Amino acid sequence: MARPVFGRTGAAKDAVPRIAHLDRDRPLVDAARRDPARFDALYRRYLAQVYSYAYYELGDHHAAEDATERTFLSALANLHRFEERARPADGEGASTFRVWLFRIARNVVLNERRTTRRHPSEPIGETTIIADPLDVESRAVKNEEALAAWHAVGRLPGDRRRAVVLRFVDEMSTAEIAGVLGRSEAAVRVLIHRALRSVAKDLGSRS
Amino acid sequence: MTVLGRDGGEIEALVTDRYLDALLAGTPELTQLGPHGEAGSGGAGTDSRSPLDLAVRAASRRLAGDLPRFHPSFRFEERLAVRLAEAAAAMRLPLAAGSESEVARIPVTPPSGFDPLAAFPDEDGSDALGRPFIVRGAVAASALSLAGAAWYAWRHRPSGSPMARAARAAHGSRSGRRQLSGTGRV
Repeated sequence: MARPVFGRTGAAKDAVPRIAHLDRDRPLVDAARRDPARFDALYRRYLAQVYSYAYYELGDHHAAEDATERTFLSALANLHRFEERARPADGEGASTFRVWLFRIARNVVLNERRTTRRHPSEPIGETTIIADPLDVESRAVKNEEALAAWHAVGRLPGDRRRAVVLRFVDEMSTAEIAGVLGRSEAAVRVLIHRALRSVAKDLGSRS
Repeated sequence: MTVLGRDGGEIEALVTDRYLDALLAGTPELTQLGPHGEAGSGGAGTDSRSPLDLAVRAASRRLAGDLPRFHPSFRFEERLAVRLAEAAAAMRLPLAAGSESEVARIPVTPPSGFDPLAAFPDEDGSDALGRPFIVRGAVAASALSLAGAAWYAWRHRPSGSPMARAARAAHGSRSGRRQLSGTGRV
């Protein structure tokens, strides 16, 4: 959690307290920098989020696993290059490490799409969803309404879809999504608003 | 454009954003709305007069409830954890002795009074000074310590054989005579 910390920067009696916003992942990141074996805690914390993002983007469990693996290996190898830049505007619970990690994931997924020549707006197919009847995850989304929502999101164009997935599935703040997508917060708000309008129209026309 | 410098679209997007913040945080008054955004018994005033489009509300609620977060298989999770651990081990710098697996060349200097005749049997000549040691974890370090203690005990064990006793006696008497001759008493 990004929490404000007050501290004096100088010895002067009337020094103004400096406010620093700490990334909620700072202790884990610091520990992993000292001892790379401690990266495991960050990995466990964000595995499902990164995997979900990759799965929504790629629509295939194996491709999502590959992307997830590459993301975490790359993050571990480049952890020394990560710079924490939490700001007050990032709000409570913000993590610039998470933004950094998802930027890697986004690049990995884009690269995966490029190499496999997948159509960027291809929705996750129904065949993927019901491929394994014993798959708990698949059963969770088998009902008609969930499938409709799933397909509606899958039909959204690139960054709108990514913004929606990051907002609803990974529960990121607008500021975090802006960091991941490399856009302004206002642009992300508009992206999501338009995406919701599209989804509403899509769901309305099919129901 | 409004006084805030934002156009209508931006304001709508801002309102939607606030709504999503509350929705995803599970704010109680929002949960009183129906599945399509209509106000429930306790939610009057939060819906019909809101500038937020009902359809957008309904879509938001659908997505919040219907888009699952996936978790990879346990097997994949553990396999990747092992790969990361291996990568981490390769990145680690040598820390304290016994805390990591490193091959280190340990310089060995002969102790004073080193007896070449009593050196460790060296069958293949690989036991030369300055040989590499593979220090692998605390267990290996403990094993080395035990081996050292055993070696020390073996070197300094009292020998019961008559030959060894005779050799020690001869060696002792010679050195004793040398000491005495040095002082001029014999």
